[in-house]
Amino acid sequence: MSATPAVSVNHLTKVFKGSLGKGAFRAVHDVSLTVQAGEVYGLIGPNGSGKSTTMKVILGLLSPTAGDTSIFGVPSTEVASRHSVGFLPENPYFYKHLNGRETLHFYGKLCGMSGAKLKSRAEEMLALTGLEDAATRRVGGYSKGMLQRLGLAQALIHEPQLLVLDEPTAGVDPAGSRIIRDLIIEFRTRGITVLVTSHLLEQMQEVCDRVGIMAHGRMVREGRLEDLIAVENQTEMVLENASPDLLAKIDALVKAEGGGTRLLRSGHPRTTLERLFLEATNAPKEP
Amino acid sequence: MSTASPSTTAVSVAPVRFSPQRVWTLAYATMTQLMRMKILPFLLLFCVLVAAMGFGFSVINPEQQLSQFKTMSLGVLQVFSIVFGIVSTALLLPKDLEDRTLYTILSKPVPRFDYILGKLLGVLMLIASGLVIIDALLSLILWMQQSVLFDSAVAQLHTEKQDTPEVVAQMREIVAKQGLTWNLHWAVWAIFLKAAVVTTVALLLSCIASSTLFTIVITFCITIIGHGHAMIREFVFQPNLGSTATRIATFLLAAICPDLAQFDVVDSVANGEIVPWAAVYEMTGIAALYMTVYLFVTHLVFVEKEL
Repeated sequence: MSATPAVSVNHLTKVFKGSLGKGAFRAVHDVSLTVQAGEVYGLIGPNGSGKSTTMKVILGLLSPTAGDTSIFGVPSTEVASRHSVGFLPENPYFYKHLNGRETLHFYGKLCGMSGAKLKSRAEEMLALTGLEDAATRRVGGYSKGMLQRLGLAQALIHEPQLLVLDEPTAGVDPAGSRIIRDLIIEFRTRGITVLVTSHLLEQMQEVCDRVGIMAHGRMVREGRLEDLIAVENQTEMVLENASPDLLAKIDALVKAEGGGTRLLRSGHPRTTLERLFLEATNAPKEP
Repeated sequence: MSTASPSTTAVSVAPVRFSPQRVWTLAYATMTQLMRMKILPFLLLFCVLVAAMGFGFSVINPEQQLSQFKTMSLGVLQVFSIVFGIVSTALLLPKDLEDRTLYTILSKPVPRFDYILGKLLGVLMLIASGLVIIDALLSLILWMQQSVLFDSAVAQLHTEKQDTPEVVAQMREIVAKQGLTWNLHWAVWAIFLKAAVVTTVALLLSCIASSTLFTIVITFCITIIGHGHAMIREFVFQPNLGSTATRIATFLLAAICPDLAQFDVVDSVANGEIVPWAAVYEMTGIAALYMTVYLFVTHLVFVEKEL
């Protein structure tokens, strides 16, 4: 792992000047965070908590009122910092008159790519995001999930080391959402750092190594996901094919132990609604 | 909560420089984007209108007929290019912002100056392409009219038994002067320059304002004021006119608005007057100066713009 953090935010404050008759608005207040290279970092919080503003400052789309941000040690205020970052905004739209392949060529050219290298990279990204069959279709006819995947492809076109994803699964159906989350997990295995925001906390829990929780423009909690969600004084056991007798014995053992030890609950674990949905919708059609 | 180190170790990387290839990519995308906004049918309609005007006038005399055709077609062309430049430029930036395309572009290593220059060039390329097509059409119609009118005038002189070589030569000279000459192309060039200056003003205003309607209305106002620039200057430099506050306000208006009357050669061309090379150079230089200044201010505004 590189010593230089992928993202560094130091005491960031962002105040938006009020328009006529309106006071200034402090969107982010003294926020600091570090995203290490190779990890998936989730920035979560309710609407208006300052997540998107923080992301925009990191990307150099907004300038900080106080503090500073950097990407792999390069200040976000420098255009050069964008060499190593790919960004997928929430609900992205692309030029409707271009098809999927042309869109990737457009973004690749903006990054200084050209010729055979650009062509092969675009094909690689189309394959990675499962858009090969739709490569020649106009983007105007893409579904929401396809637009998100195209957004991911354009974000990756110049082989960035960092991906910034703003609500990547918002409004996407469960199957599309599953594909995007699988891609995020694959990015991590490829060594790409991911900074992601989402309102869908279960999905974040599935992909993130560390999370930061923002509220009212401040960072209220930050750390490794496992540390944050673990209930330290409880232990979970999942048994398969346990007989009622065995369960009764375990219950008796716990009671005999005494002290503060208690069996809080036992029963059948449940599958998730998402898993049920995917199993049901991916089943082959009956003749 | 883990806190980042108080000071980031700055890594030095090569700065991203201006790239003509990147600007061309943005300009080409802008041009194709605008072409998809049903611009071509509008252009086709204009061509049909011009063709109809070319053959629709009642014959008065060859000189007047050619002059009327040029006045009408160049006038319509001027309005078309200015309206197109203002409206398309006013729409482009807000649309990119609304669709978040601006975010995906500027989160790549793209300097903001490259972006605005690409957008401007895209609009100008489309205006220039439209003007080249219409210029070719105008030239063809004018050349055809010129031949037809000369032949019919000579035939009439022959009927009236006045077709002496001197009179025919004089008629040829009159028709040639009002017919197809380089002056027509200079008039189209002047129309392009005026539209380019107005488009750059629209780009500046669209960077400042958040409303498309505001940009369109204010740019139209500046265009109208720009045509009366000489009157404003006269007012400013007349010591006995108006209060000091009014004169200062008028001076500021004169400083902000471009002098668009500098590009008014359509009437001269319609009257068959020759546009000298010096005037063409002067117009081009003035337009380049205006565009450079407006583009520089646009860059200063856009580089600080919160997106």
